[in-house]
Amino acid sequence: MTQIAWIIPFFPLMTFLLCFIFQKREWHHLCSRVGIMTTGLALIGSITVLIGQMIFGNSEAVISWLSIGDTVFSIGYIVNPLNALMLVIVSLVSFLVHIYSKGYMAGEERLGTFYAYLGFFTFAMLALVLSPNLLQLYMFWELVGLGSFLLIGFYFHKAEARAAAKKAFLMTRVGDVGLLIGMILVFWQVGSLEFSAIFQAVSGGDMDSGMVTLVALLIFIGAVGKSGQFPLHSWLPDAMEGPTPVSALIHAATMVAAGVYLVATLFPLFEASDTAMLVVAITGAFTAIFAACIAIVQTDIKRVLAYSTVSQLGYMMLALGSAGYVAGVFHLTTHAFFKALLFLAAGSVIHAAHTQLIGEMGGLWKRMKGTGWLFLIGTLAIAGMPLFSGFFSKEEVLLAVWKEEHYVLFTLGLITAFLTAFYMFRLFFLVFMSKKIIPYKRRKKIFESPRVMILPMVVLALLAVGAGYIHTGWFGPFLGEWLASGNEYITLHPHEGAGWLMAVTTLLTFLGIWMAYLMYQKEKLDRNYLSEAFPGVYEAVLNGFFVDVLYQRTVVFATKCLGIVGTWVERYVIQGILHFIEDITILVTKLASKLQNGQVQTYGAMVGVGLVVLLLIGLMQGRFF
Amino acid sequence: MDMETLLAYDWGIMAPEFTIVIIATLLSLLDLFLPHSFHRKWLSVFAGVGILVAFVFTLSQLGQEADMILYDTYRLDLFATSFKLLLLIGAGLVLGLSASYHRKREQGEFYYLLLTALLGAMMMASSADLITLFVGLELLSISSYILAGIDKQSLKSNESAMKYVINGGMATAITLFGFSYLYGLTGSTQLTTISEILPSLIRTPAQGLLIMAFIMTFVGLAFKISTVPFHMWTPDVYEGAPIPVTAFLSVVSKAAGFIILLRVFLTLFGTLEGLRLNETFMQSMALWIGVLAALTMILGNILALRQHNMKRLFAYSSVAHAGYLLVPVVALSTLTLENIWFYLLVYMFMTVGGLAIIYVLYEKHGTLDLEMFSGLYKRSPALAILMTIFILSLAGIPGTAGFIGKLNIILGALSTDPAPIVLVSIMIAATVLSYVFYFGILVQIYFRSNPFQVTIKVPIVMKTTLWICAIAIIGLGILPNLALDFYHHYVDLINVTEMLWMRG
Repeated sequence: MTQIAWIIPFFPLMTFLLCFIFQKREWHHLCSRVGIMTTGLALIGSITVLIGQMIFGNSEAVISWLSIGDTVFSIGYIVNPLNALMLVIVSLVSFLVHIYSKGYMAGEERLGTFYAYLGFFTFAMLALVLSPNLLQLYMFWELVGLGSFLLIGFYFHKAEARAAAKKAFLMTRVGDVGLLIGMILVFWQVGSLEFSAIFQAVSGGDMDSGMVTLVALLIFIGAVGKSGQFPLHSWLPDAMEGPTPVSALIHAATMVAAGVYLVATLFPLFEASDTAMLVVAITGAFTAIFAACIAIVQTDIKRVLAYSTVSQLGYMMLALGSAGYVAGVFHLTTHAFFKALLFLAAGSVIHAAHTQLIGEMGGLWKRMKGTGWLFLIGTLAIAGMPLFSGFFSKEEVLLAVWKEEHYVLFTLGLITAFLTAFYMFRLFFLVFMSKKIIPYKRRKKIFESPRVMILPMVVLALLAVGAGYIHTGWFGPFLGEWLASGNEYITLHPHEGAGWLMAVTTLLTFLGIWMAYLMYQKEKLDRNYLSEAFPGVYEAVLNGFFVDVLYQRTVVFATKCLGIVGTWVERYVIQGILHFIEDITILVTKLASKLQNGQVQTYGAMVGVGLVVLLLIGLMQGRFF
Repeated sequence: MDMETLLAYDWGIMAPEFTIVIIATLLSLLDLFLPHSFHRKWLSVFAGVGILVAFVFTLSQLGQEADMILYDTYRLDLFATSFKLLLLIGAGLVLGLSASYHRKREQGEFYYLLLTALLGAMMMASSADLITLFVGLELLSISSYILAGIDKQSLKSNESAMKYVINGGMATAITLFGFSYLYGLTGSTQLTTISEILPSLIRTPAQGLLIMAFIMTFVGLAFKISTVPFHMWTPDVYEGAPIPVTAFLSVVSKAAGFIILLRVFLTLFGTLEGLRLNETFMQSMALWIGVLAALTMILGNILALRQHNMKRLFAYSSVAHAGYLLVPVVALSTLTLENIWFYLLVYMFMTVGGLAIIYVLYEKHGTLDLEMFSGLYKRSPALAILMTIFILSLAGIPGTAGFIGKLNIILGALSTDPAPIVLVSIMIAATVLSYVFYFGILVQIYFRSNPFQVTIKVPIVMKTTLWICAIAIIGLGILPNLALDFYHHYVDLINVTEMLWMRG
């Protein structure tokens, strides 16, 4: 059953090809159908592979792709619990987003192109997940980056979208350079890029510990770029310029999780180096609380969710860095569902209200009950409300950190949990509940979204509630046991559920919700108290602690300076040389063409002269003169 | 030679050659006796079947032990078999290209001349004696001369044939002169025997004559592969000859040239002690061949820059590719044969593909100028995309087989010794130079307005040929090991040292 895995990515690729060829307006209705159908097939395939993995265990098949001398590069696929799970997540979310887009993007001029890009992205993402070696992973890693670039810049007539697409591409490239260097080092040390060979080399002690740390850190830089970790996070909020379904698919559920997936896939490598693990954990914890702080004051509904994504990805990294392999993957799974749900619900709101600014919304509960309920479910799940999926996975993450005795990071994680509940309910109250009256005229025009958009959200809502029960202290750690079963290098640390931790997190969640309720619903607490007391701090948080400004003033500025110098060099030095080469080329061409005059006697003479010259050179080489 | 000895030979090893002979004879008889009302295009079907049967025979010979017949003048080994496969593929593609347009009914001779030329090339691949080798070479050459002039009514075609004959004559004379030195020095024409005697000549006064023999033979054979200094005939002959003949010359004839070059030079000089200590003769002459390779790449690409005539452009491009193919000969390693084999295979697909599209457009628009491509994307998107694939592959862009071929050559050249880095740099620079005219074609296809308001209908055989070429290029570009594994599986045994069979 797992043998069909390699076919799965080709279904969405078909969408890409078909929609790209038939992108005329009259084919639009077919494009969406083709897209939904192929991702549906991919989903069926993924589920088959998942079940197959559970019954028959792992499988791997590679064929040699290019052999140069004795070095063979291979391509193929691998199926293990981790990527079988990822396959289902990616194809499921992609399938739902394809359906949702049918409603959300209706009437779009370039619908064919949109579906083509979506198909392309899904193809690359699925293929990335199936890769059995670093080289193949890297190729698709770049291709998902390309897909993300194209989709962020989909509304390319908007300058912001263009800038955001460029920024996303460049910033993730910075990380990719790290990954590439790490990869080259691995190849140099191990002589192969196959995951299994790398793990063998690490566990067999073929690489010295300093090298393991260096490689792990370099690869982690790649993950930092892709997963929007500090300090390479600021492209992710800007990426919200893309269409909302894209944000749900790429910038919440799948691509940004690829960094986490990379660390999880190479977990044995990271585990071999304490330094690397600590760096991962610290980066994760810092990013989590850092982004959560910024999310509190954002005024754009999608940017709140974007910072929240950054923060939650930080949680996953924190878990992985604290040896919580299962916790990290578990949180990745639940997060994919509830964050995609939140984005799609936000999309539904934007679709109806024609604005993304929280200040222009309010009291939408009455106009769009369905969306409201769904958004509430997503909010409860991410806030860690007991019985919802986020509750279980977040508790697992914190437990892993506690067991690893990183008490500072544990405290940061707890604070982030509180902040998450607070900013998410701030968002919920401001958008749906606040009593602010929107002008009557505008309110009249707000309607619930069509069923084609609601249905995918309902599926995600069910998962956002239920996905937590695959790994609980109450019913049994199914997910953990299964993940550990398929990977000899992973050891499962049984975490007996600490009751006190559950109590503390629940308390913090309720505290966050209660404070948000007082501030934004009852308005008993002055919501502007802090911002007025510390205007400077408020300004800083609002602007994401000026990270972008910092980049602007340093990296971008330096690059521009370099650019100016480079332009000068190019204009006067390089071009001078180029002109010289060009002139020489033209001269040689003219001379050679003159010889090429169509006269056979010239040709014969050339051969004769050539032969004599060659004989002279050859005999001189033999020292006969 | 009595009857008994004759019958004792294992004639089975000549089965592919016999097939071609029989079909060629049959076709000439049919052409002679069939009534005029019988359309000669049906002869192409016979020719195709013949090539296919010969291909199957050659495939079946793949696993066989090396064997020689006819007093050790005819040799079947993995080198011969693997390169014969290339020749047959090339001839098959050329046939696919030629079988679509028939303006004259009396062109039956094209098919059997094609087959005799192919036969000559196959004999060259198998020859183990200078005489056999020369007979094969001349069979190929004389058939090609007639082929170049087969369009009797066309002045251009006549001119092309004339130039080809004269230049070919000079080349033959030089080659023979070189051979005569070899014979004079060793008293034998059998390659094995020669290679056994040659070591005794090193560091004697006769060494100078040996170098002369080496250079004369090389320059003479340079004619077939059209490298410096014997490249100048290429554009004139390619331009005048009908397009299928151009394709034949640049694909099959060139491959045959490389086969004979490898056979003679690797056998005779591959492990021969060099002029200085601790090097082989080929290494002593590496610089010399390297200069020729570099000049060929540079001249081919530079001259192509100014070309507007598509046939001439392809002629120069074929000169440049011959230069790339010489790089593995300069940097001899265990990868040399593999690199040349793979590159020739890829080169066949992309050149025949490109010329096929030029053929289609020429038939439709009656011009060979670059502007035949202007606005092609609007006229015929399918042809535009196919041409893009061929062009990208010729230019060596990743994702196509042309890239893998160049990459293999570069990595192979640097695999044993970093010295060829200069040559490799020149090769890369020349490749970059070639982008200028290759992308010029793409600019015409996509960004120029469409002056021809016609729809283009491609005959079915032509269409099949085009798609085979395109699929092969993309397929080998993404999964190069389809071909390389095949090669390794059967032919890996013959790396350069093992090819030197006389030593063992």
